[in-house]
Amino acid sequence: MKRAAAWRAVVIVLFLVFMIVPIIATALFSVSTRWDRTIWPEGLTLAWWVKVIGRSAFQDTLGNSLAVALATVAVSLALVTPTAYWVHLRVPRARPWIELLALIPFGLPGVVLALGLIRLYSNVPLPLINTANILVAAYVVLTLPFMYRAVMNALEAIDVRTLSEAAQSLGAGGWRTLLSIILPNILPGVVNGSLLVFSTVFAEFTLANLLIGTRFKTFPIYLVEFTRFDARQASALAVISFLFAWAISIAVLLLAGRGGYRREATGGR
Amino acid sequence: MTGGPRMESANDPRRHRLRRGRAAWLGLVPILLFALAFELLPILMLVHSSLVTDDGFGLGNFGRALTPTMLSAFANSIQLSLVTAAVGVGLGGIVAYAIITTRSVMVQHALTALADVTANFGGAPLAFAFIITLGSTGVVTLLLQAIGIDLYPGFRIYSVAGLAIAYVYFQLPLLILLIIPALLGLEREWREAATSLGATSVQYWLRVALPILAPSLLGSFLLLFANAFGAYATAWTLTGPDINLITVQIAALVRGEVQLDPALADALALLSIAIMAICVAGYHFLTGRVRRRAS
Repeated sequence: MKRAAAWRAVVIVLFLVFMIVPIIATALFSVSTRWDRTIWPEGLTLAWWVKVIGRSAFQDTLGNSLAVALATVAVSLALVTPTAYWVHLRVPRARPWIELLALIPFGLPGVVLALGLIRLYSNVPLPLINTANILVAAYVVLTLPFMYRAVMNALEAIDVRTLSEAAQSLGAGGWRTLLSIILPNILPGVVNGSLLVFSTVFAEFTLANLLIGTRFKTFPIYLVEFTRFDARQASALAVISFLFAWAISIAVLLLAGRGGYRREATGGR
Repeated sequence: MTGGPRMESANDPRRHRLRRGRAAWLGLVPILLFALAFELLPILMLVHSSLVTDDGFGLGNFGRALTPTMLSAFANSIQLSLVTAAVGVGLGGIVAYAIITTRSVMVQHALTALADVTANFGGAPLAFAFIITLGSTGVVTLLLQAIGIDLYPGFRIYSVAGLAIAYVYFQLPLLILLIIPALLGLEREWREAATSLGATSVQYWLRVALPILAPSLLGSFLLLFANAFGAYATAWTLTGPDINLITVQIAALVRGEVQLDPALADALALLSIAIMAICVAGYHFLTGRVRRRAS
């Protein structure tokens, strides 16, 4: 019995070391004066953080990423929530097809989606290629699995049919029923999905790099540029992205306790 | 993906009032139009252009696209995905088992939360964290040097081996999240029954537990494979154009850094989609079967 406990402790400690050391190292590196010759940092400083945060390019790219992430969440919500409600209530026969649409992005590498979108729209006279519009559209596709699953799972947990019939017998129309009866009941799921979409988009590099490149820099693009010429400031930027991911994941976990769901795969590697 | 409580029954008279027949399909027009424009047409475009050759439809583009460089890009991507998925399933399975058999509920929750958070890490910041940790003047590199272990020049974080370590960082927690529900499905009574019939621990695992877990493990392996195969940001940040992976090659084609007949580029993209599709479909089929059996 004792040997079994020791085995478990070793496995868990090794796992913790592997998962946490890179993060702590990056955080420490971002506040070190110099740390490339000695075992421990030669001194501590906040200079890199001050430098990074003071730059207008930092604020611009952070703003761009927040704007794109919020726009993606808004479009995804407007598209997915009514669809999921409608499929669940009125056209259950369409369900396999909608689920297929929500599964395909898992099997679509970012580089391939970018290639397809550029092939399709590069010669179309619409404000798409090289604008943030195409990026938001691509992100809605990329995150479709997360939003769809979150909303659908929330709908399955409540009695949609009875609620809708009750609302309609009191004279509410379809949209009114969705917005003021169904939506409040599935809100944890909707918020959950929105947070997952937000964090995926905020950290996404591939599509941003290939679809817009330098014309509209997002935060991850800015970070990668920095890794090429200033490691200390890049480490501060990396810590900022880790903090964002932590904050959002913790919010998701707290919500998950209230009828949420867990993401099964990831996007934006 | 399906399942959950079914609220309606087929002979419920209220169904007819709510259903307005085919007109209800019109409600799906917005999402279908959107998916057509930004999800399906881009794929169909690639399918079409890679299949059209000078003399009608054919597979000629695929043959011409698979130059030695591209073949080795596919080989590298497949190898990297196989290795990191296998390591992810092997080590992740052991860690997941250690997590669920820990007596302290708090430790269980904390470790699951850690897996949840780190499965969301990836891409550029993760790659950079590994440069800081295991680069030539990395923190752990220096630490190991101090106790007499020289990682460099035998190992380089900017190589396929280094990339594999960074990939394992996001593969492990993903596997843990995927497999914990299956591990929790192993009933304690099965082990007791096996033991009371005289089975050893090894026999229990080989003859009872692993066959039950097999679909979940295989499905998770396929999803991890796809996860690594489609990855680009981590590889690009860590190694730039130095490493020959298929996603790096396709990205170079998109950016116009490499000149190639568009039809050939599209053929490469289509081959990647085919590999990914097999994995995702396999995952869906295997875990779907598990879920049906569970309910």
